[in-house]
Amino acid sequence: MTSDTVKVWDGWIRLFHWTIVLIIPAMWWTAENGEMTWHMRLGTVLLALLLFRILWGFFGSSTARFGSFVKGPGAVISYLTGNRREGAAGIGHNPAGGWSVLVLLGVMLAQVGLGLFSGDPYDGATGPLNHIVGAMTAGWMTDWHEIGFNVLLSLIALHIAAILYYLLVKHENLVTPMVTGKREGQAETGGIESASLMRAVVCFAVAAAVPIWIWFVAD
Amino acid sequence: MALRNTGLAMAVLIALTACGSNGETASSDTPEPAVIGERQDNFEEIGDAFRVIRGELENDAPDMAVISANAEIINANAMNIEGHFPPGTGMDDGYDSEALATIWERPEEFAAAHERLVSASAAFLETADAGDAAAVAEGVPELGGACKNCHDTFRLDDE
Repeated sequence: MTSDTVKVWDGWIRLFHWTIVLIIPAMWWTAENGEMTWHMRLGTVLLALLLFRILWGFFGSSTARFGSFVKGPGAVISYLTGNRREGAAGIGHNPAGGWSVLVLLGVMLAQVGLGLFSGDPYDGATGPLNHIVGAMTAGWMTDWHEIGFNVLLSLIALHIAAILYYLLVKHENLVTPMVTGKREGQAETGGIESASLMRAVVCFAVAAAVPIWIWFVAD
Repeated sequence: MALRNTGLAMAVLIALTACGSNGETASSDTPEPAVIGERQDNFEEIGDAFRVIRGELENDAPDMAVISANAEIINANAMNIEGHFPPGTGMDDGYDSEALATIWERPEEFAAAHERLVSASAAFLETADAGDAAAVAEGVPELGGACKNCHDTFRLDDE
């Protein structure tokens, strides 16, 4: 660690990220091995995490906010064609990575949303909201829930490939900052503007209310 | 440098985890018997036909011709199941299958469960051909129960 080390990711973002890294393989494994009760429990947790991340994108620390990293197509093209100044002042998601975050969040949210309605009451497990849609609707939602996982898997592969590209070709380690929250050589940026613990607690409480309601009331 | 190496190790680990999760679990060296795919398609068709019937029954004026045609598929495919489960084609044999060893351990029970599906689907087809949507709707849990009966005992538990 040198004196120009600054904080680039807050603790909530890091906890969110690594929980996702654990929960996605666990959800795949539970689905493949018929552990649907656990699959749905994990899905409920994932829904709360995703809703938290969306709220955190409006109320969180500076690098967590959508406003700081979602850029127009011009900025993305400019960044990808070599203009490094398009990055969010050196820290946070770059213009291409910002869209990767949005797409990954969107696909995971779609997966959880489809999963809530998926299944067939005469053919294995059903999601907690399966009974409120028709048999045909549940049918196509189940099909898309299966297709959606392969889409997610492709995006995860792209995500990891990009990280390896940065590490091996550009010699920029993006993994360690996602663990420690800190990055060297960015002193001029001054690091992130933090958000209070109270904000995180309120965001998480609001996010958790939705799956709790689905689990105990709508089911 | 230590940090960079840790990061590299983690990235490789994550990449390997992701690769592993994409692979098939079947470890058998012999090619998968064709009957496994045939019976899975056969069951898929039953499931799809039953879903179409239930979807039709949700409409204000269910199309009885559609219901009859799909009840016919269910009955025909139910009879196809005979011969779909030769020994050595279950999930314990290393294939991408959810067929449990109980199928071959309790053959009489499995045959009885199959017979229940065949007779339930025949009765359902008869009701469908009679053209009374309300009577068909009443028969749905009975036929669905005959499907589920087998899933609970002879297919990998997915509750």
